Amino acid sequence: MSQDSYIQLKSVSKKYSRGGEDLIVLDQLDLNIPDGDYAALMGPSGSGKTTILNLVGGLDVPDSGTVTVAETEVSSIPTRQLPAWRARHVGFVFQSFNLLPVLTAHENVMLPLQLTPLSAAERKKQADFALEIVGLSDRAGHRPSQLSGGQEQRVAIARAIATDPDVIIADEPTGDLDRNSADEILELLNRLNEELGKTILMVTHDPAAASNARRILKLDKGHLVSDEINRQASGQTQGEA
Amino acid sequence: MNFPVRLAFRHVFSNKTRNGLTILAITIAVFLLCFLLAVVRGIDAGVRSASSTRLVTQSAVSLFVTLPMSYRPKIDAQEAVTVASEFRWFGGYYQDPSNFFPQFAVNKDRFVDMYVKDFEIIEGPNGITGPGARDAVKKAFATEKRAAIIGMGLRDDEKYNFQIGDTVPIIPAIYQRADGGAWDYVIVGIFKPLKARIPDKIMYFRSDYLNDSIESGEAFGEVAAGVYYVNIDQGSQAEMIATSIDQDFLNGPQRTQTVTEAAFASFFVSAIGNLPLFLGTVGGAVLFSIFFSVVNAMLIAGRQRLKEAGILQALGFPPITSCLLLIIEGLAVALIGGALGLALAISTQDLVVLNFGDSIRNYEIDSGLILLAIGTSSVLGITAGLCAGIPFLRYRPTEALRSLG
Repeated sequence: MSQDSYIQLKSVSKKYSRGGEDLIVLDQLDLNIPDGDYAALMGPSGSGKTTILNLVGGLDVPDSGTVTVAETEVSSIPTRQLPAWRARHVGFVFQSFNLLPVLTAHENVMLPLQLTPLSAAERKKQADFALEIVGLSDRAGHRPSQLSGGQEQRVAIARAIATDPDVIIADEPTGDLDRNSADEILELLNRLNEELGKTILMVTHDPAAASNARRILKLDKGHLVSDEINRQASGQTQGEA
Repeated sequence: MNFPVRLAFRHVFSNKTRNGLTILAITIAVFLLCFLLAVVRGIDAGVRSASSTRLVTQSAVSLFVTLPMSYRPKIDAQEAVTVASEFRWFGGYYQDPSNFFPQFAVNKDRFVDMYVKDFEIIEGPNGITGPGARDAVKKAFATEKRAAIIGMGLRDDEKYNFQIGDTVPIIPAIYQRADGGAWDYVIVGIFKPLKARIPDKIMYFRSDYLNDSIESGEAFGEVAAGVYYVNIDQGSQAEMIATSIDQDFLNGPQRTQTVTEAAFASFFVSAIGNLPLFLGTVGGAVLFSIFFSVVNAMLIAGRQRLKEAGILQALGFPPITSCLLLIIEGLAVALIGGALGLALAISTQDLVVLNFGDSIRNYEIDSGLILLAIGTSSVLGITAGLCAGIPFLRYRPTEALRSLG
C-alpha cells in the first residue's frame, strides 16, 4: 500500500456471468485514494463504477487482486465478518435513498447504531446529532413518505454518518433529485469532507456533481482512463492517469 | 422495544389488507380447530370417565333386544359382583318431541347406591340438601312408585324447570299407555353429575313402575330389564367376570355380551362412525390449507422485503437479521390470528353449550386446548416466517439491493 493511500485497489478484476457469457467489469484495475479525499467516479454505464463502490464497501468481493481500506484488506475478510466490518467503517448513500419506509427519519438514522456497543441514550444522542448535521432535527419524527426527495437523501446521509465511519460511499446521490436538492446534498457532502474529514467516494454521471469532488476518476470498460485533481475544488491539477 | 421486534411489528401493521386477511384466515382456522377438538374431547371424555369397576351386560344379538328380569339373581351371584341393576331405555319426551332428554328405568333399591361415585345428590324431598340428601332420595325412590331422579340440567333449564315434588308427564314413544296418556313421574331427587359421560339432562325412574304397568295391562310392551349395569369389586379382573357372566347365559333364553362400561360408551361413539377421527381430519385439513395460505402471504412479504434485506446488510446487519424479522412477523401475525380465534372460541363457548349442549356434551375450551391453539399458531407463524426468511440467507447484498422490493 502506498504511503498515503487510504483506499487501495491493486490489480482488481471482476467479471459477472450474464446469459451464460462472462462480462468483464474490472480488468486489473489499480486505484489509490488518500485519507480524507473526496473522489468522484465517472464513466459510461457498465464501466465498473458501482462495482468499485461495492468492492470498497465490502458488499462484493473481487475475482482477483486486493482491496484495502484503512490498512485492512477487505477482500480477505471472511464473508460472515463483512457486515460487522461495514458497520464500523463504511457509510452508504444510495441514489434511491433506501430508507425503510416503516421507520421514522430518526429511527432510520438509529438503524446502524443498533450494531454499536453504545447505550440506548448514547445512540439516541448520536442520531440526534447526525440529523442536526444534515439540518433535519425538526423532521425526526417524519416517515420517508412525509419527506421530500432532498430531505430523504439528507436523512440517508445522516444514517451514513451516524456511526462515524471512515469512508462514505455515495452511489449517484443526486441522481433522483432536482437541481436545488442536488446542490444541497453536494454542499452537505462537501461539509462532511472538509469539516469532518470523511473520505468520500462518489459515483455520478452528473458533471456538476463531480465538480464538487477534489478528484475526478474516469472509467471505461473496467479501466481507469483518467485521474484528475479538480482545480475548482482543490486549486491544483494533476496529470492524466 | 428491541429493534427487530419493533421493525417486524411495523411491517405487520404496514400492510393492513394482506396481513388483516391472513389474520382473519388464522382466526377462523384456530376457532374451527378449537371447536372441533372440543367436540372430540367431549366425546372422549365420556368414554374416559367410564368406571373401571362397572360392566354392562346386554343381549348378544343386539342392544335393542332386551334381557329378562330373571337374569339379575344369576348376575348377583357372580363372584366379585357387588351390585347389579336393570337399565331400560324409555325414549319419551316432555310435551313436545323437541323436548327430548334420555330417560331410563332402573332398579328402585339399587340404583342410588350404584352411582355413589358418579353423581352427587344435591336436593331431595322437602328441600333437603347436603350430606343427608342421598339417603332421603334413596328412601323416597324406594317408597314412591312413580319416583324419578333427574339431573340438575332439567331443573336449571327454563324450558323444563323441574322441581322436587313436581309431577312430570312424559309422553311415551315406545311404551304406550292403554289410556293413550302420558306417564307421570314425581321428582324426588336432583343430582349433579361428577363424571363427564353422565349428562345433566337425564331422568331415572323405577323399572317396576314400567313393568308392573305392562303386566297389569295399563301399558303395552314386554316386561324386561333392558340391559344390566354391574358393579364389581375394585381390583377384580373385569374381563374374567364378563366372560363368566356370558358363560352363565350361554344356553339362553338370551345369550349375553358383557363389556366394560368404557367399551359400551365407545360403542355409541362408533355407532355414528368414527366421529373423532372425522372431526380431527376436518380440523387438520383446515389447518393444513391455512398453513399454505400463511406461507404464501409470508413469501409475498419476503419478496417485498428483499431490498430492505439488502439495505440492512449494507448497513452492517448480518443476513440472519432479515430472516429473523420475517419469522417475528410471521409469528406475530399467527399469534394475533390465533389469539382472536381462541377468544372467539372461548366467548362462544356458553352459546355453543346453550344451543347444542344436548348434542355436544362436555364441550369446553379448556387449558389444554388453549395451549394447543397457542402452540399451533406459533408453529404456523414460525414455519411460515422460516419459509420466507431462509432464502434471505443466500442473497448477496448487491443482489438484494438491485431488487425492486
